[in-house]
Amino acid sequence: MMSTYIRVEFARHFRDGYNLIFALLLPAAMYILFGNIPSYTESALGAGNVKFYLMISMAAYGAAVSTVAIAGTVATETMQGWGRQIALTRMPPAMFVGSKMIVAATVAGASAALVFALGAATGAEVQEGWIWGASYLIILLGALVFACYGIGVGMMFKSESALGLASGLMVFFAFFGNVFMPLEGGMLDAARFTPMYGYVALARYPLLKDMPAGVDMAPDALWIPTANLVAWALIFVLFAVLATRKAKARQ
Amino acid sequence: METLIKADAVSLRGLKKTFSTPRNEVEAVKGIDLKIQAGQIVAFLGPNGAGKTTTVDMILGLTQPTGGSVEILGLDPRQAITAGRVSAVLQTGGLLRDMTVKETVSVIAHMHEKADRIGPVMERTGLDKIAKRRVGKCSGGEQQRIKFALALLPDPDVLILDEPTAGMDVMARRDFWATMRAEATDGRTIIFATHYLEEAQNFAERTILMSQGRIVADGATEELRKLISGRTVSASFPSPEHADRAAAFGDSVQVAERNGLRLSFHSADSDRFAAALLSEYQGYDLEISSPSLEDAFIQLTKDAS
Repeated sequence: MMSTYIRVEFARHFRDGYNLIFALLLPAAMYILFGNIPSYTESALGAGNVKFYLMISMAAYGAAVSTVAIAGTVATETMQGWGRQIALTRMPPAMFVGSKMIVAATVAGASAALVFALGAATGAEVQEGWIWGASYLIILLGALVFACYGIGVGMMFKSESALGLASGLMVFFAFFGNVFMPLEGGMLDAARFTPMYGYVALARYPLLKDMPAGVDMAPDALWIPTANLVAWALIFVLFAVLATRKAKARQ
Repeated sequence: METLIKADAVSLRGLKKTFSTPRNEVEAVKGIDLKIQAGQIVAFLGPNGAGKTTTVDMILGLTQPTGGSVEILGLDPRQAITAGRVSAVLQTGGLLRDMTVKETVSVIAHMHEKADRIGPVMERTGLDKIAKRRVGKCSGGEQQRIKFALALLPDPDVLILDEPTAGMDVMARRDFWATMRAEATDGRTIIFATHYLEEAQNFAERTILMSQGRIVADGATEELRKLISGRTVSASFPSPEHADRAAAFGDSVQVAERNGLRLSFHSADSDRFAAALLSEYQGYDLEISSPSLEDAFIQLTKDAS
């Protein structure tokens, strides 16, 4: 049941160039841009170099944005009557959501993998090999938190343009979440409460973990990004559930 | 041994649906009792807002009733759907524009676990010629045919169609009903909602008239037409005097409309009156017509309100 659906979903994403550009090419292009032009990117940072740090940032951003875009289609397609069409078959609605999550995770995984491959090819370095895997895994799992955000926005506004806006807002979250460029002072204090801060800080933790506190770019205590990610996960889940309930009641 | 008492195809008891908004409550369906035997072709006829779509949604389990119960072939709606015994063509939406026709049919077929039906169904609904086209590029009639194909995939015993020809032109409607006739065999029960009177007249053996959330009439389509007895007889006369004499024919005749020398009459015994018109009152250009379902409908909804 699910395998055919997932296959067709991938075919649709490959035909839709627009989605593909935002999910795959944009984060990769951003890594090339930020990771290679400035002269400081070769310098050491934590257990690796600045390139590795930027690679994690862009991969995390790309994975989260892809997840939002694909998870959001659960909502817009349900509202377009596709949900009713599925409700007339044996397949339970949970399997529809499950198929979308598998597709979202795969595209997010491919997006992050592309940035990691570019990083490996252009001199992103880290002393301990396991950090590659650990960072990648945290990026992938953390991205799924943003699926709930995508579903919630889609259910709330029912339109594809709202979904585009939700993806666009991710740029904003990324900027104020300390993803694109290191924030300082008051901005950094405020950033600790924004949705992408915990996610990207956890993904960078394996790289930065051994830096002494007080040094520039040193990581927060582990509980701060963890608390941030868990809190936002709960908020997004609640948002998705409430928005879905409201949308169903209006049907 | 086969049981002699067959379950009804559809059985509704005291079915009600109230939609609540913060401001007020809307009673979309105000209590419907109904039994439809297996193999019947039934039309739900009524104007927009009569509660047809809400009733269809409750039969399919897509909307939870506020009160009452639904049984399809003795099962609850979800069980009947899972068993592939009922399916439907829904009125609005239901297709994704960027999928191809073949992909759409294929994914829904797999959701029914009936992949073997993809080929035959696409052929029978004429979709094999546009298999690779994107749904968004298909005309309204073609999209409706795709939805019809999806409904045929589980090979259902009960097929429900909600305004299946909405948005089709005359030719597409004719083609659609021709395909439909071919599918209406093997004891399949077909229930369709429509506001086209001629579709009910041409296709349904039984018509259920709905208005404002209630059933206002239910019977054989032919019987329904006879509900308004008598005929309308129209004739022209050589002079007003002839017309006046004809109008005074008797109790069985009333003047419905007078337009110069042309008069229309309601007549309970049209044959005798027509003979008299021709022989005694010098009437000419005679027209005799039976009331349409539309007349019956206006009459019945007037009575109900």
